[in-house]
Amino acid sequence: MLDVSELVQPGKGLIHPSIYTDPEIYQAELEQVFARSWLFLAHDSQLPKPGSFVQAYMAEDPVLVVRQRDGSVKAFLNQCRHRGMRICRSDEGVARAFTCTYHGWAYNLAGELVNVPMQERAYHNEIDKSQWGPRRVPRVHNHKGFYFGTWDEEAPSFEEYLGDMVWRLDAMADRYDEGISLIPGATKWVIDCNWKFAAEQFASDMYHVPSSHTSALVALVEDPQVLARLHELNLTVPGRQFSGNGHGSGFALRPDIIPSQSGPEFDAWLDAHREEIYRRGGEQRALAANGHNTVFPNFSWLDINNTMRVWHPRGPGQIEVWAWTFVPRGAPDEVRNEIRTSTIRSFSPAGVFETDDGENWTEIQQVLRGHMARKSLFNAQMGLGHEKQGTDGMPGRVADDMYTEMAARGMYQRWADLMSGLSWQQIAELDRNRQQEVHTA
Amino acid sequence: MTTPTPDTPTPDTRRPVDPTVRHEIEQFLYREAELLDDQRFQDWLELFSDDVHYWLPTRVTRTVRERSLEVAGPDGAAFFDDDKTFLRGRVRRLSSGQSWSEEPPSRTRRLITNVRPVELADGTFEVRANFHVLRSRAERHHDTFFGERTDLLRRIPREPGFQVARRKIVLDTTTLLAPSISIFL
Repeated sequence: MLDVSELVQPGKGLIHPSIYTDPEIYQAELEQVFARSWLFLAHDSQLPKPGSFVQAYMAEDPVLVVRQRDGSVKAFLNQCRHRGMRICRSDEGVARAFTCTYHGWAYNLAGELVNVPMQERAYHNEIDKSQWGPRRVPRVHNHKGFYFGTWDEEAPSFEEYLGDMVWRLDAMADRYDEGISLIPGATKWVIDCNWKFAAEQFASDMYHVPSSHTSALVALVEDPQVLARLHELNLTVPGRQFSGNGHGSGFALRPDIIPSQSGPEFDAWLDAHREEIYRRGGEQRALAANGHNTVFPNFSWLDINNTMRVWHPRGPGQIEVWAWTFVPRGAPDEVRNEIRTSTIRSFSPAGVFETDDGENWTEIQQVLRGHMARKSLFNAQMGLGHEKQGTDGMPGRVADDMYTEMAARGMYQRWADLMSGLSWQQIAELDRNRQQEVHTA
Repeated sequence: MTTPTPDTPTPDTRRPVDPTVRHEIEQFLYREAELLDDQRFQDWLELFSDDVHYWLPTRVTRTVRERSLEVAGPDGAAFFDDDKTFLRGRVRRLSSGQSWSEEPPSRTRRLITNVRPVELADGTFEVRANFHVLRSRAERHHDTFFGERTDLLRRIPREPGFQVARRKIVLDTTTLLAPSISIFL
């Protein structure tokens, strides 16, 4: 087991940059972090009928996520057990069965091996097909239409894993009576940076917005006076940050759920559905649904920008971003379309916000080629010692400002606990003690 | 909702263009590429009609049987889905000096080839062309974007003779092998 205690010191807000570059650490992450955590697989709306499938990734492992005839969803490694060929080579589609193109082994929708060519002549009928299906994702959980999976039989239940972050997840996932659906098609792109930069920013970093994204508002707003007012508002609006179980979220305390950042059609729709939204999650939560969020380790979303994404790791120095736009399921076409275009224009590889994020992370990763750069500790001390419990009656650990790095420290704490090979039980015990410390502080 | 694709009239309403018009259209596209490579974005904007739709849908890998579903439709995910107002906003942003993915700016080289114009019944031109755009950024970053554009061009009674009324860009990649498209294609 790697000793990571010197590499991240969440209690002191110190990060050793080698955690973003070291190939050995990366391999350990695949085993200790990604193979043990709950990872986002797919949303209900991507799998409309029996046989609907998408290829997803659990870190670097390709998995097929398939709607079964009984309506349930199963997932299995997209790897034939004969010689390891990718069984299905489409990103998505509708299938009756999956046949490996190498030697023709065939699998049903549940991932069971159902046909081996020349079974009698070549295998003398001695192959036990029940033993040679692709590796199944043993635990798949449906949380309000969001399917998460884990390879780890010992991992806590999804609800327990999520903890108080459910308050934030449901602010997005459970906001409307009819639920949400995804705009068809994922947007996928590659950024040469470590996955933790992206996951951490969406967990904990409202602080970069005024500097990194200052020009995005220039694109959205023509009037310089309005622009100046918006800048001012960003710096003065009160906010909160949540941290728990490695997850993180930050958000402003807005006086109303509108204006949305999509436009007048969605504003009118939200206004008409205000009662429904408040009834489902409470007014406080509805007003807080405007921020950045990461469910540890790599599933993130922005409530108000209607974008959700997975940061798939691709080696220590690269990620593949898979992003989707979410819309209220029952919304009319003009509302859907307004949300769709506003999200594309703000958060996509050509979006006026998103392009600048990639630029930051790429440059950091480039600098970390340097020996001295990799030895120079990073400062994650913002708000250190000012952690709170249950601010404003919100569940969990909530800092009384959104400009803090409490959630980043929480994320690296969970990362360090998993990387140290601690059992889930040990981690839960440690977390209880840490919560206690905050209480009495 | 904006009209998502160039109108696709029946084949008999499409007419081949004579070599002079073909030359004019090619020169127009080269001119456009030059303005972008020279970062003259305000001048570039003038080449687009006020009702322009500038669209780059996403694409997925599918089997031959489902290949017609490869490119996302008008209600699907996209990299660009802009009107003139938002194109103006992008140009304003690029000129702000704080657009960090283009400050310092990329160096680009646009190769526009295989230009195939046809004249439509209403006198507009549908022009398909291949593109290969190379981008160099910062010290050693390098991206390539390649695919096909389908433009709808209208004649205008002044220089440079045409305006782009619709542009559909289709990349040949599914996963974009670049950190951003902070340039125009």
